[in-house]
Amino acid sequence: MTGRSLTHRSLTRRLARLGAPVFGVVGFLVSWQVLVRAFGTPKYLLPQPSDILRHIGSDPGFYLRNARTTLWEATLGFLLAFVTALTVATLMAHSRFIDRALQPMAVLIQVTPIIAYAPAIVVWRGFGLEPILIVTALVCFVPFLLNGVSGLRSVDPNLLELAHSVHATRREIFLRLRLPSALPFLFSAARIAVGLALIGAVLGEFFAGVTGGLGYAVKVAQAHVLPLQLWGSIFVLGFLGASATLAIGAVERVALRWHSSQRH
Amino acid sequence: MTTNETNRANRANRTNEQPDVGRRAHVRIEGVGKVFQRRGQITEALRDVDLDIAEGEFISLLGPSGCGKSTLLRIIGGLVSNDTGVVTVAGATPETAREAKQFGLVPQAPALLPWHTVAKNVRFLTDLHTSSASAAGSQTVLGSAEIDGLLAAVGLGSFHDALPHELSGGMQQRVSLVRAFALGAPILLMDEPFAALDEITRSDMRYLLLDLWQRSGATVVFVTHSVTEAVILSDRVVVMAPRPGRVVTVEDVSLARPRSPEMEDDPVFHEHVSRLRTHLRESHSA
Repeated sequence: MTGRSLTHRSLTRRLARLGAPVFGVVGFLVSWQVLVRAFGTPKYLLPQPSDILRHIGSDPGFYLRNARTTLWEATLGFLLAFVTALTVATLMAHSRFIDRALQPMAVLIQVTPIIAYAPAIVVWRGFGLEPILIVTALVCFVPFLLNGVSGLRSVDPNLLELAHSVHATRREIFLRLRLPSALPFLFSAARIAVGLALIGAVLGEFFAGVTGGLGYAVKVAQAHVLPLQLWGSIFVLGFLGASATLAIGAVERVALRWHSSQRH
Repeated sequence: MTTNETNRANRANRTNEQPDVGRRAHVRIEGVGKVFQRRGQITEALRDVDLDIAEGEFISLLGPSGCGKSTLLRIIGGLVSNDTGVVTVAGATPETAREAKQFGLVPQAPALLPWHTVAKNVRFLTDLHTSSASAAGSQTVLGSAEIDGLLAAVGLGSFHDALPHELSGGMQQRVSLVRAFALGAPILLMDEPFAALDEITRSDMRYLLLDLWQRSGATVVFVTHSVTEAVILSDRVVVMAPRPGRVVTVEDVSLARPRSPEMEDDPVFHEHVSRLRTHLRESHSA
């Protein structure tokens, strides 16, 4: 086999790998388009993807503005959840008592539908950004907490003993052993939390009396029967979620170069 | 007393001491016992163990699983406390010695930091607990050039930037060995470091270890369940037996230094091996 045909083959393989996801998404949209046309579904019930995309293109400023608002809320809530969850996880990883005491609370936060207590938080904290951040942080909190505890506990016991053999301090053990060991777990949590953060932000906008964000755009579109704006907002939300997930995946590939999850 | 004072006192003691065989007792174990209690079940891990380990000596703890050899190693290292008896390490308690970074531990698994390169892994123990180590003033932590020399000596000269998962099991264990020697600790505690390796790699590792040990002059306590390994490595072999964990006998190995693979064909080697096997068998059936 010649060198040229080899490079050619590896190039096609790479293109196929990168192209497959695009093919999936485009294929889905095309089937949607074809089926809606074939069945003659009215535009006000379910618009065609081409019309939705054209609508987004006709007023990019509207979507950009609202996307920025929602992304900001989601990011803040995500970071708030990460910091508090990691703090609590550190306490739980060091004390069995705190762990046992807080486990039921974590489960309660997770299993109680957020949609039920989101209005209660708005009643308590009033309208504005604050209830949105609380709702967003609450939905992201549990995955970070549970993965954080498992991660901080996942340190190789041999490494712990080695650290003890030279009388390492608790701080050194935390920073140099526990935290790096927890990283793969925290990245898994982050991938779950990205989607949850968007859910939290949109849900918060529904209830928090704000006049910006894609959740607000969805609410208005539903109230005024604007199917194109409704679907346009959904598309942009999907795009935001996918981009954020890809971004986290990229950071993960660099940060976890050493971890078995990154080897193929 | 601060660690600093203790160390100074130790050094003073050492010079006054008149050792009986021309070598100072580095580790002294007197009447040591240890009982573990797990889920209501009581296991006597060690009973009445007496042992003196000389400075610079290579000593092996040999015995079947459950004979308390690993526990004894951890008691010496101040990682597990003994219930009865007294252990002194260079005149101080094992805890004090541990705080002064007197021990280099080599566990059974390589236990490398998967996120660090080989070069960073070998410095891991050195980098921990630096404040107190410098206060102790007794550290002879190896410099960069010396550590590079050790890595080259174990054939890892071109693997400084490799991550642990890129290395074979034997190579990982060599990093673990260099890490312990890089600490410059006067006592090395090795807990079956070659147990997980294949026979050929294992045999190479023995002579590599001996080479590193001879450069360092450290005292080595080596836990193993391999009779041949114990004989070819050690100055003395401590035979231990289980239920309760105890010392059966201590065998002086009369093979010359430096040891070489050819010595494994030496009749003297075989005499030692067969005598140790007999001890192990007798203590086991007893």
